[in-house]
Amino acid sequence: MRYDSIIIGAGHNGLVAAVRLAKAGQRVLVLEKRHSVGGIAITEELIPRFHFNTCVDYIRWLHPRLLKELKLEDDRFKVQWTDPSVVTPLPDGNCLRLSADASTTAESIRQFSKADAENWSGFIDRIAQLVAFLEPLYSMTPPPVPDLGLEHLISMRGLLKPLRKYGRKTLVELLRVLPMTMPELLDEWFESEPLRGTLAASAIHGLCQGPMAVGTAYLFLHNHVGCRNGALRPAGFVQGGMGNFSNALAAAAEHLGVDIRTNAIVRKILTDENQAGGVLLGSGEEFKAHRIISNAGPSVTLLDLVGRENLEPRFTRQVKAIKYRGAMARIHLALNDLPRFRVFTDEADLRGVISISPKLEYLEQAYDAAKYGRCSYHPYLEIVIPSLTDSTLAPDGKHTMSITLQYAPYQLRQGEWNKGTKEALLQSALSTVSEYAPGFGDLIEDTVVLSPLDLEEQFGLTEGNINHGEMMLDQFFFMRPVAGWAQYRTPIENLYLCGSGTHPGGGITGAPGWNASREILRDLKN
Amino acid sequence: MSRRYDAIVVGGGHNGLVAAAYLARAGKTVLVLERRDVLGGAAVSEEVFPGFTFSVCSYVVSLLKSDIIRDLQLSRHGLELLPLESTFTPLPNDDYLIRWADHDKTRQELYRHSPRDAEQYDRFGQLMNQIGMAVKPILEMVPPDPSRLSFAALRELVKLGRHFKSLGQEKFAALAKLMTMSAADLLDEWFEFEPLKATISASGIIGTFMGPRSPGSAYVMLHHYMGDIDGVFRAWGFQRGGTGEVSMSIARSALELGADIKTEAPVSKLMVQNGKAIGVALENGDEFYSKVVISGLDPKLTFLKLVDEKELPQDFVTSIRNFRIRGSSGKVNLALDALPNFTAIPGYGPHLRGAISISPSYDYLETAYDDAKYGNFSRQPFIDMILPSVLDPAMAPPGKHVMSCFVQYAPYDLNGGWNDAQREAFGDAVVDAIAQFAPNIKDIILHRQVLTPWDLENTFGLTEGNIFHGELSLQQLFFLRPAASWADYRTPIRGYYQCGSGTHPGGGISGATGQMAATEILKEWR
Repeated sequence: MRYDSIIIGAGHNGLVAAVRLAKAGQRVLVLEKRHSVGGIAITEELIPRFHFNTCVDYIRWLHPRLLKELKLEDDRFKVQWTDPSVVTPLPDGNCLRLSADASTTAESIRQFSKADAENWSGFIDRIAQLVAFLEPLYSMTPPPVPDLGLEHLISMRGLLKPLRKYGRKTLVELLRVLPMTMPELLDEWFESEPLRGTLAASAIHGLCQGPMAVGTAYLFLHNHVGCRNGALRPAGFVQGGMGNFSNALAAAAEHLGVDIRTNAIVRKILTDENQAGGVLLGSGEEFKAHRIISNAGPSVTLLDLVGRENLEPRFTRQVKAIKYRGAMARIHLALNDLPRFRVFTDEADLRGVISISPKLEYLEQAYDAAKYGRCSYHPYLEIVIPSLTDSTLAPDGKHTMSITLQYAPYQLRQGEWNKGTKEALLQSALSTVSEYAPGFGDLIEDTVVLSPLDLEEQFGLTEGNINHGEMMLDQFFFMRPVAGWAQYRTPIENLYLCGSGTHPGGGITGAPGWNASREILRDLKN
Repeated sequence: MSRRYDAIVVGGGHNGLVAAAYLARAGKTVLVLERRDVLGGAAVSEEVFPGFTFSVCSYVVSLLKSDIIRDLQLSRHGLELLPLESTFTPLPNDDYLIRWADHDKTRQELYRHSPRDAEQYDRFGQLMNQIGMAVKPILEMVPPDPSRLSFAALRELVKLGRHFKSLGQEKFAALAKLMTMSAADLLDEWFEFEPLKATISASGIIGTFMGPRSPGSAYVMLHHYMGDIDGVFRAWGFQRGGTGEVSMSIARSALELGADIKTEAPVSKLMVQNGKAIGVALENGDEFYSKVVISGLDPKLTFLKLVDEKELPQDFVTSIRNFRIRGSSGKVNLALDALPNFTAIPGYGPHLRGAISISPSYDYLETAYDDAKYGNFSRQPFIDMILPSVLDPAMAPPGKHVMSCFVQYAPYDLNGGWNDAQREAFGDAVVDAIAQFAPNIKDIILHRQVLTPWDLENTFGLTEGNIFHGELSLQQLFFLRPAASWADYRTPIRGYYQCGSGTHPGGGISGATGQMAATEILKEWR
C-alpha cells in the first residue's frame, strides 16, 4: 500500500512527528531498524533481569504542548523528579547538593562559600530569565537568515512574551552569555570549586570540548530550558525506564492508525528527479510514500541514504563539515547491593544524579586527554541508580547503576575501540567511583560498556554523538544542521529531517519532531 | 590656571594620537597627556640596550587604515612600512614550511608538502578575503544599541540587516560559522598538511586565552586577516625605526595640525561636575580643563581607575568589572651578536626577512595552551619572531641584530605570581624553544629583555597585560564592547569618551577606534 508519509527511525522525535501527522489525517508508516522503538530513549534488559536506560537516563524538558496534545499524561507515562537533583561528592568527605528549593541549595553551598550562597538565588533567577527566551526559540522554526521577510519576523513573535516580561536588556544579556565559556559565566557569580564544577558539568554533556570552550554557556542554557523552579541540573526519571516514554508515544501513534515496523532497516531513500518517493529496505522490500521524514542524523540521511550522487557538491560539502565528535561512553552495572558513598548520609542522595565534578579544572583536565585522542584517566562521571526509584528495573535487593562517562573520544589516536580499550575505560570509571565509594567493586555482578563506536553501530549515531551533531554555536539555530537548510526541509523535495540534528538539537525534548511536523503540515496546506 | 582645551586625550597611544589628530584637523584645540616619557603606548620604539632599538611591544603593522594614512598624511610624517617577505615555520624533522609574499613561490613550496593544499590555498585566501570584505563595513560602523528602540538605533539595525542580506546565504553562513568555530576546525575543512594548518591557526590565538582547537579562534584569525584585504599575502610590514615610528608619525601630524602633547604627564583622575566631565587632574596636582575628555586607556583604567565609581551607574560598573581582559602573552627582545642559524635552512637567506613562527603542529600549540590553562607559562611556547635589523640595519649596531619574539602563553595569573625568577625561567623557556630550531641562539645573545604580562601592565598600562585592551571574544565585540549600550565611544558621563582598543572594532595597530571616536565626538559638536 502507499503511505502519505514514511518516517525513518522510531526515535522519540520520529514518533512525535508520526503522531502529529496521523492526527492530521495522514497514513503514516514508521520504520525502525532495531528490535524496539525509542531510538536512544529506550530501556533494555542488557544484563539478564537487569533493565537499563541504554543511552539516556532522564528527561529535563519536553516540548510544552507534547504532553497535553498527545495525551501522554496518564498511567502510561509518569515522571519522577528527584530532589536533590544532583549530588556532588568531594574527595575531602563533603558533598554539594542541588535541590529544587533555592534556600536548601544555598544552605548546601554555604559550607563552601558564604558569598556563593548569597548569589545563588540571583543566579537561578538570571538563568530562568535567559532560558525564558530560549524556550519560544526552541518551539519555532529557524528563519532563513539573512533573507528575512516580514513573515519570518512574525514567526518569531513567540519572543515577544519574554521580551515584554524581562525587557530588551535581558535579550542583549542572552546574546552576551551564549558565546561565553563556563568559567567566564561562573566568574561573575561563584568562587567555590564544587559549585563551579557541578554547574559546568551540564555544559559539556555530549561535547568533545571542555568547560573552558567558547559556547559552553550556550549548552548550559540549553540544558536548562524549561527549568523554572530554580532546580538547576534537573533530572526527571520516567517510571519503568526511559523506554516507557517512547512506548507511550508509540501507543499514541498506533492508536491513531500509524503502522510501526521494527527490524526494518532502511538502506536507501528512493529519489527521482530530486524528489523523494519511497524507501528501500535491507530485505529488498520497497515502500512508496508522498514524503519521507528522517529521524536519523543528517549525515546518515543525506550522505548514506540519499547518497552523494543525488546531492549538489556544495551541499554535500556542508553536510560533510557537520561536526559530531562523540566523546561519551555509557557504562551499565548490575549491583548486588546499594553502593556506600563515604559522604552520603541520606538514601535520597543516591536517587538523583551523582556527579563526579569536584572542580571545573577537573572537567577540563578530563577533556585535555580527549584533545589528543586519549580517554580521560580521571573522567567526568554522571552516575545514576534508577532501580532505587523504580524497583522493577532490578531483581529484589539488587540494583542497576548507569554511568555516563566523558571523555571517551570516538577517534582514538592509538588503537581502536575494542574489548581491551573498553575494559581500560571501565577500570578508569570503577577506580574513580571507588575513590568515593570504597569497596564498590565488590558489589558488581556484571557490566556492559558502550563506547562511542558501539553507540554509532547500534543506534546509528554518527561518531557516537548522542545529539546528532555537536551542540556548539556554529551548529545552532539557523545553522543546524547546516546554514540554509534549518527549516527541516532538504534540497531533495519531499524529504524532511526531524531528529536531534535539527533545531533545537539534542535531548529528549520532542521539539525537533514537533517543529518538523509543523513545517510538513504547512507544506501540505500549500 | 592653564588654558582651556576643546578636548583632552588621556594616553598617547596610537589610538589616542589618531583621535587627537582628527580633532585638531577639525580645528579643535587638543591636549594629549602621556604618562611615560615616550609616545605610542604599546606601539613604541625604545633603545633598550645601547645601540639596540626595539619595537618593545607591538612589532608588526598591517591593520593601519589607509584612510587614516591619507587623512593625516602619515607618509610625509615618517610612516614607512617595509614588507615582510615570508612566514617561515621550521619543523622538528629539520624540514620547514615557508610561505612567501610571492604567490607562485608559495604555491611551489606548498606543492612540495601537499599538492592538494597548494590547490586549496588560493581558494582559502579568496574565502577569507570575501569574508573580510563582508566584515569590513561592520568594523567601520558605530555599533547600534539593540536595547534602545530609538529611531536612530533602529535605522542602524536595519542597515546592518541589509548588509547581511546583501552578502547572500552562502557568505553569510560562512561568516556566521566563522564567528564561533575554532581555527582548527575551519582549517581542517581546507588543508591536510599539519604545519600549514598550525601556522595559519596561530594568528587565531595571538593575544587570546585560547588554543587553535578552541571555538572562537577562527574569528581572531579573521581579525588578523583584515590586513590583507587590499593586498594578496598577509600584508604585514615592519615600520622603519620600529613600531614607535608609526606612533611618532601620527604625533607629528597631530602637532602640525596644532595639537599639544605632553609626556611624563600621568593623569590621576577625571574631574566631573554635575555628571559632566570638565577636565583631568594629574598626579602632580596640575589640572587641565576641557569640553570633552577622551580616554585611550583600556576600559578598566578608563572607568574603574580614572573615575570615581559613584559617578557611574552600578550595572555599568558591574559590566566593566566583568569585562574580560586576561593577558596571555609575553615579549622577549633579544640583542644578538650575529644572526640565528636555523637547522632547516642554514645560513643567511630570505627566510630571515619575514616572520619566523614556532608553530609546528596543533598539538604543539595546544600543549602550550594547556600549560596556561592551569596557571603556568608554556614550557614549549608558541613564538612569532622577526629580525627587524635585517630589514632596517639602523635598529642595531653594524653586524649585530635585534630579534623580536612574541610569546604565548604567559598567563597573567601565574601560579604563585610573576617575580624575577619566574621571568628569567620564562625567558629561558623561550630561548630553549628557539634553540631547538636554531641551536646557535644561546651563543649569540648579548642582551635579553623579557616582558611578562605583569611588566606589560606596569610599564605600558595594559591591564592584566592584555594587548587588545580586552579579549576579542564574541561577547566582547561590536555592541558589547566594552559594555552593552556603551559601545558608541560615549560613556555614562557626559563629555567623557573612550577611544582605545577596548572599544569596537578592537585591538591591533589600526587606528580605527581613535578615528571612530573622533568622528562621533565631532558629530555631536556639529
